[in-house]
Amino acid sequence: MKLRHILANALVASCLAAGSAEAQEASTLAVAVPSDPRGLEPGTNRAWPIGSEIILNVFDTLVAWTPPEFSELEGRLAESWTISEDGMTFDFILRDGVTFHDGTPFDAASVKFSFERTMELNAYVKATLGLIESIEASSPTELTIRLSRPYPAFMSILAQPQSAIVSPAAVAEHGDDFTNNPVGTGPFKFRDYQADTRVVLDANPDYFRGAPKLSRLIYSVIPEASTRRLELENGGIDVIQQSGQLSAVPLEEMEAFAKNPDIQILESPSQIIRQLEFNNSHPDSPFNDVRVRRAVAHAIDYDGLLGGIFGGTASRVYGPLTSNSWAFNPKVTEMAPGYDPEKARALLAEAGVDPADWNLKLYGFQGSLWGALATFVHANLADVGIDVEIAQTEFPTYRALHTGGEHKIALDGRQPWYNDPDAHITIGYYSGLADSAMTFRMPEDKELDGLILSAQQESDMDKRRELYFEIQEQLVNRVPGAYLFSPKLIVFARSNVSGLVVNSAPPLNEYWSVAKN
Amino acid sequence: MNDLIRFFRINTLATAGTSILACLLVAILLGPFVGIASPLELNMAERLQPPSADHLFGTDSFGRDMLARIIHGGRYTLAIGLGVVVVAFIVGVFFGTIAGFLGGIADMVIMRIVDAILSFPALVLAIALAAAFGPSLQNAMLAVAITLAPQFARLARSQALGVSVKPYVEAAVSLGLPKHRILWRHVLVNAIGPLLVQASLSVGSAILQTASLGFLGLGAQPPLAEWGADVSANLQFVRSSPWTALGPGFAILTTVLCFNLIGDALADWFNPRRRSEM
Amino acid sequence: MFDFVIRRLLALMPVLFVVLVIVFSLVRFIPGDPAVTLLGPGATESQVAALRAQLNLDAPLLQQFLEYLTGLIQGDMGRSLKSGKPVADEILARLPATLEISVFAVLIAIVVGIPIGILSATRPNSGFDHLVRVVSLVGVSIPAFLLALLLQLIFATWLGLLPVSGRMSAYLFVEPVTGFALIDAWLSGESGAIRSVLVHLVLPTSVLAAFLAATLGRFVRTTMLEVMTEDYIRTARAKGLTWSTVVYGHALRNSLLPAITVVGLKFAEMLGGAILTETIFAWPGIGRFMFEAIRNRDYPVIQGTTLVFALLFMLTSVVVDIIHAMLDPRVRGKMR
Repeated sequence: MKLRHILANALVASCLAAGSAEAQEASTLAVAVPSDPRGLEPGTNRAWPIGSEIILNVFDTLVAWTPPEFSELEGRLAESWTISEDGMTFDFILRDGVTFHDGTPFDAASVKFSFERTMELNAYVKATLGLIESIEASSPTELTIRLSRPYPAFMSILAQPQSAIVSPAAVAEHGDDFTNNPVGTGPFKFRDYQADTRVVLDANPDYFRGAPKLSRLIYSVIPEASTRRLELENGGIDVIQQSGQLSAVPLEEMEAFAKNPDIQILESPSQIIRQLEFNNSHPDSPFNDVRVRRAVAHAIDYDGLLGGIFGGTASRVYGPLTSNSWAFNPKVTEMAPGYDPEKARALLAEAGVDPADWNLKLYGFQGSLWGALATFVHANLADVGIDVEIAQTEFPTYRALHTGGEHKIALDGRQPWYNDPDAHITIGYYSGLADSAMTFRMPEDKELDGLILSAQQESDMDKRRELYFEIQEQLVNRVPGAYLFSPKLIVFARSNVSGLVVNSAPPLNEYWSVAKN
Repeated sequence: MNDLIRFFRINTLATAGTSILACLLVAILLGPFVGIASPLELNMAERLQPPSADHLFGTDSFGRDMLARIIHGGRYTLAIGLGVVVVAFIVGVFFGTIAGFLGGIADMVIMRIVDAILSFPALVLAIALAAAFGPSLQNAMLAVAITLAPQFARLARSQALGVSVKPYVEAAVSLGLPKHRILWRHVLVNAIGPLLVQASLSVGSAILQTASLGFLGLGAQPPLAEWGADVSANLQFVRSSPWTALGPGFAILTTVLCFNLIGDALADWFNPRRRSEM
Repeated sequence: MFDFVIRRLLALMPVLFVVLVIVFSLVRFIPGDPAVTLLGPGATESQVAALRAQLNLDAPLLQQFLEYLTGLIQGDMGRSLKSGKPVADEILARLPATLEISVFAVLIAIVVGIPIGILSATRPNSGFDHLVRVVSLVGVSIPAFLLALLLQLIFATWLGLLPVSGRMSAYLFVEPVTGFALIDAWLSGESGAIRSVLVHLVLPTSVLAAFLAATLGRFVRTTMLEVMTEDYIRTARAKGLTWSTVVYGHALRNSLLPAITVVGLKFAEMLGGAILTETIFAWPGIGRFMFEAIRNRDYPVIQGTTLVFALLFMLTSVVVDIIHAMLDPRVRGKMR
């Protein structure tokens, strides 16, 4: 009897609960994220999306991309900087009078400390921050960084979460536990973390750019995409992060949200590419024949994929760079193989192969988006006579397969974390890195490798663009994979949320300017 | 035969269950011949159509006919249910009989393993095993079979213990017949009732658990039309197009319900006290 | 009684040993290299080798197992490959959430399951009895994820009455003291916090409780029907005792005892259901933790959570046996 009473009470209360909680917490913003954050501090962060975004709100970097275009860098903890002729020496004037959340003053020594610490702890930044040869703090506000070789994308690297500046005093105090007690100079202070539940950040009233408009920022963990959308609709949360990129948003729900006056949709193009990729250095793969690779690329119904599964939440990709990149070569749109099953079958016949005895496994990630994509590609390939077995694989196993080069064909994707073609081209296609990460595993090719390296190091931007144009044409001709699509970055928010700007590379948002009305 | 007729006459619910399963079986067998739609072919123009005369159960996000997928998935489900139980039955009865027959160390080791397996929540162990073997339908079935086998082992062991000291077994042994052959036969004959009841109830658990593994992504891989995996794949469309996830979900419920109805009736049938009541 | 408890625990030891062997060996067969996972893209062969050594993956199996056992005795379950924190701490942080829904679910199941079983058994073949039989059979046949989905659709999507994820409103911040949301909410004194927690408990506990309530209802009905055909019940009736004295005085008492055992046994199956329920309702317990760990190939966490599930179940069965022994002296004798 008593229990029934409680339950009845609870049911009635639920109708009121949402309203009272909102009134009470008018300046708290709840952001739904799909999983627990990882790497809450620069020293251990490896570009895990949620941890990285929290870093950018708790810490500051020396520079950051300027909204809303995100094509120019602006100073944050750095007031100004100059780069030497040879592109190897960087002089910074740092902001004065900034303090960390624990009261420690920010100065050049803390920058030196942070970079050296991250370089030591974080294998992830080896190819980037690892180029630093020396850091010199000549005064509290003056800093000089020297590189071992020219690297034009270096300033972009400094806008990365791994390059954020930590409080040396807090690191000394917490040691290894710093990741559970991150202390920076950012607009929000770390307050609490509950496993699989939430991260709570409180406003930093003394933030050097002015106190944030919110008093509290809560990252609420909700793994299922449809549950996140339901919570948003019912007013249980304010913002859903990174929707298009991690799960397909059903067309029907996009339309329902577009009509819902309580919800706003923020869209921005990304530089993410999803592809059907070949293992280009497999010793015994049917895809070693370029005609077979081309046949596969012709078998995919690109427009059907975009319209049917993504309902306008993704755009077409033609080559190794997205069309919004500054180095994009428009010529590849004509060169890229289009949907043409007839031609695919003809090419297979011409190559004289019989797909029936290939026994192929199509590897892909887990999750509904990748499941849908694999299903679609499976049907497209079956249509031209190529039978594949779908193997959705947990990320670690998947990565091991890739770096070991055991796959022949796989669904994969790359999300560039800095705004430079280098992020796609060098890691994806340079043969020297073939088995270091999830790459196209390109075979050694002196000409192409040489082009990639010189493009990476060229400091004249026009010459760099020329080099990347050439690289894109060469790559599209080689068909290292079928480029499927680029998902847009989609953020759903309640209509009363204002000031939110969606950042594209990296796809992380700052909440300093966000308010709830 | 008379027994069988009597069994169905007094068990209306079991009759209903058997009839529904029979319909499913007919649909599975005849489906391909009466022109049911392909469960795999994409038809993006007809995606997420609500149930209609053309598509009785609607279509999914790839425009595939849900009825076709459910009928097709029924194959896997029946194969899963029966396959898992057959494996669990054979493995369980084999080890259970050996334990009861040999006694001593063998008995102790086997029964401790049985106890240990029963010390895990079945689904937890199945998930852990399926994850260890790697995600595929066969591995999921194997994992579930391992969690179900101990029940059969226990039943078989107690029968073997009882049988091995019976005078006629001892007599047969003294006549020079190999003891193990007598034993197998007697264990199976004497325990067939409880084993059958256990088997029929296990079919339901086997289907439920394998579907749960499929739902968690540890079982069948797309584009296979396995019911549990289909519920999970269509979860994201459940609000705008509930039929996509609810169809296969209710298919699981109905099938398991039917097997449980039959299992219940069998349990009554083999329970002498209850039987006299009827 | 003390003797009984000790004997019961001793009998558990060999089983526990086999459980440990199973838990230990099961993750050794998993494909994929955890060292590669940890280091992330760009790791060199030598870094991977170094990490394998650090994780002790290269030691002989027996040595690994012994070290695993010694660690466990000291409460060390290793460190999560994902978070780098001790697995024991990670599990402890999530255990209260799982216990919270489990305890509520057991209570609901008992409060619902036993009475309907009794009512059904005392009116065999009535309309109510048939209804209970069908509903309870559906209850044991429905996949937990389907029930969860239906409840979410009905109560959250269509009626908008109940929340579908988490333990309390996202806007509430309650200082986590005990880890039990209800207690923390009560301690915080925050208005609406307790209400918010209760509202969030409704759907996940209902899903968990459904299976147990249905099993219990079916069991109580069957045993009561059986007990009522026993000779002593007939004798009692013949002696002129009233029907209700017979039913509630004799039949009920004799069928409730085995019902306790059923609750204990089925508790394990319910815990298994927690993996599905917690995953669907974004409930931060050890079930979801295990599921995420499998996705991330987080060896030590998979081991730790599987073991904790087994321990919870073994503990429950011991407690059930003890309760049983306290209520029924014959059981105590049997163990001798």
